[in-house]
Amino acid sequence: MALTFKGGLHPNGSKITARFPIEVMPDPQTVSIAMSQHIGAPCTHTVKKGDRVLKGQIIGLSDSPLTCPVHASVSGTVTSIVDRVGAAGQKIVHVVIENDFKSEYSPDIKENTKALAEHSFEEIVEIVKNAGIAGMGGASFPTYFKIASAKDKVTKLIVNCAECEPYITANHRLMLEKPEEIVKGIRIVMHALGIQECDVAVEDNKLDAVRVLENTLAGDDKIKVKVLKTKYPQGDERQLIYALDKIEIPAGKLPADVGRIVINAETSAAICHAFYSGMPLINRIITVTGNCVANPKNLLVPIGASFTDIIEFCGGYTGEVEKIISGGPMMGFAQWDENAPVVKGTASILTFKKENKKTAFENCIHCGKCVGSCPMRLMPLYFASFAKLGDFEACREFDVLSCVECGCCTYQCPGNVPIVQYIRTAKGKLRK
Amino acid sequence: MGLLKVSASPHIRHEDTTRVLMSDVIIAMIALVIWGAYVFGLRVITVTAVSVISCVAFEFLFNLIIKKPSPVGDLSAVVSGMLLAFNLPATIPLWIPVVGAAFAMIVVKGLFGGIGKNFMNPVLAARVFLFASWPSHMTNYSEPLMRLPLFGEGIDAVSSATSLTLLKSGQLPDLSVKDMLIGNMAGCIGEISSILILAGGLYLIVRRVITWHIPVSFIGTVAIFSLIFAPSEINALTYMTAELLSGGLMLGAIFMATDYVTSPVTPKGRLIYGVGCGLLTMFIRNFGGYPEGVSFAILIMNLFVWYLDRGTKPVKFGGGKKNAKA
Repeated sequence: MALTFKGGLHPNGSKITARFPIEVMPDPQTVSIAMSQHIGAPCTHTVKKGDRVLKGQIIGLSDSPLTCPVHASVSGTVTSIVDRVGAAGQKIVHVVIENDFKSEYSPDIKENTKALAEHSFEEIVEIVKNAGIAGMGGASFPTYFKIASAKDKVTKLIVNCAECEPYITANHRLMLEKPEEIVKGIRIVMHALGIQECDVAVEDNKLDAVRVLENTLAGDDKIKVKVLKTKYPQGDERQLIYALDKIEIPAGKLPADVGRIVINAETSAAICHAFYSGMPLINRIITVTGNCVANPKNLLVPIGASFTDIIEFCGGYTGEVEKIISGGPMMGFAQWDENAPVVKGTASILTFKKENKKTAFENCIHCGKCVGSCPMRLMPLYFASFAKLGDFEACREFDVLSCVECGCCTYQCPGNVPIVQYIRTAKGKLRK
Repeated sequence: MGLLKVSASPHIRHEDTTRVLMSDVIIAMIALVIWGAYVFGLRVITVTAVSVISCVAFEFLFNLIIKKPSPVGDLSAVVSGMLLAFNLPATIPLWIPVVGAAFAMIVVKGLFGGIGKNFMNPVLAARVFLFASWPSHMTNYSEPLMRLPLFGEGIDAVSSATSLTLLKSGQLPDLSVKDMLIGNMAGCIGEISSILILAGGLYLIVRRVITWHIPVSFIGTVAIFSLIFAPSEINALTYMTAELLSGGLMLGAIFMATDYVTSPVTPKGRLIYGVGCGLLTMFIRNFGGYPEGVSFAILIMNLFVWYLDRGTKPVKFGGGKKNAKA
């Protein structure tokens, strides 16, 4: 029987692009690279207007202990350094590069000639850090920091291939097409941390990927492919660890506190690139889909490519677009700017057509469906009703700060209450 | 290109709205109207129609007067109307469901803020109000299969005692278990057929409209209580069967106590609520002044819903004692 957790739900998968091989998008005319694409301190740009930059060259750095360098994804000239307002409303400095289409690589990118076994823990952390790798599942936590803080604490690596959000198929395609990259990345992390156990966790709607991974792993008894029940939010690391090992991470603690380190499938592949070819994180696989794009695709795109260029490459819109979402439909961010650039955490671009649906007014009927579906075992209805009254302390008493904003409550709500929105309001007020 | 719509996640929704859930409840209750009409005559249809139309009309008018958007589309007033009719005898004068609907929709529901805000089940509160105001009309039960016509007064019908009045006086009703199960007996319009009510409940559980917790704990408590406290001269099992299949227990446990607004949201809270309803029902049936206690039991338990919700707040993920040490 497939492994799983309690609560959650089964949204319609809508994985339209599951059978579409990854295509490589030609580098666009311009890229706009954000100086903050990760959790932690933003970088300061190390280039100025008019500078020529090479592909893979560092263009943003910071001295802070928790940060992640940023690299140019094309070769060309810096045309401007601008402030853009990101999807979450914060101002971020962007370096805009005009592509010269020479694709000239930075001389810093060198193949690694030393064998994996000869690398020390510190060397590997340094490689991962310099490559600017941040978690590619969406949260964008700097990967070197995760590995460094897991030293001597963890006994098992978990590779998150759940991809539980509807629509997204980027990890699925990666597993089918480049399983060896994921596996190499796994071996690097296992070697660095000196651990002997790894679970590769895949949902049971991707059994073809399970077979491919098992073939790739043939003979390796340290790395096991584990099949999980297809359920949202299986990819949340708390639910993932629970499904695999039946361990609950105590509230406020991290996977490392229960001896686990969780990395995303594509992050593992990025570690493989950084280690063997010295290639920093300058492109990623994204799923472009939804009901408003002509040719949905899985695409390898340079970091900094604009959503407009990408959608154009996919044949443009098929109607009047109402919503563009970066990320999945359950947790992704609705964009206000269709020229937003791809960042390291962009797993997908969803486009939705304008619908002439009358929106029902919100009204909690106290049905309790949100309580039943909450994977954190909270009572979301009371967050909404207390936040509505402005009683944020009551929200705190009901543990609003433990909410992971997975969206199950709101998805289920028959009364059309935007519960997650109320939760964010409450959290925002309580953190002030 | 127009402006993009920006909204908080999630960006997709399940298709089950309040209206869909209420439609399911209506579907689950239709067989009860038909069975009621078979046993008590077509007048059942008239009473149900008057009740439903009054509930919808009062809800609509009330929201019109207070200048709130009309919630009629969510169909909850239709459900209330049907349930109100189910709690009346078929002989009821037609102005009574109108008064009941006004009390339920305006006093109990509307004045407290409409659906989701009322702290008492509107239908049960209206039933108790009608019962206290016009007891003779509310207990004028006609003989089963002595069918009343679609129109005309039903008051002249020959009154019949319900099995509960007999139980109250320490006698067993003179009915076969089969008749009680399928509902070939005197009583309110929608409460007589236990088998059809159970089938409706099963449908609602399968469709995930309600969970099993309240019906099972409510009915289970009544069953256990009646087994233990059966009068010595009556066989305990026979007595239990009579208690379970009489009066409004099945209708109450499956369709009334599970009303979303006035029942707890946690599984544990629902179990305690059901047990409370069951105990109060039996206390009233055995020691109270009325033969039937289901309505009062549910209304009293309605008052505890907030405390049950709060008191049975689940231990959050990673918040257990086992985890505290880790």
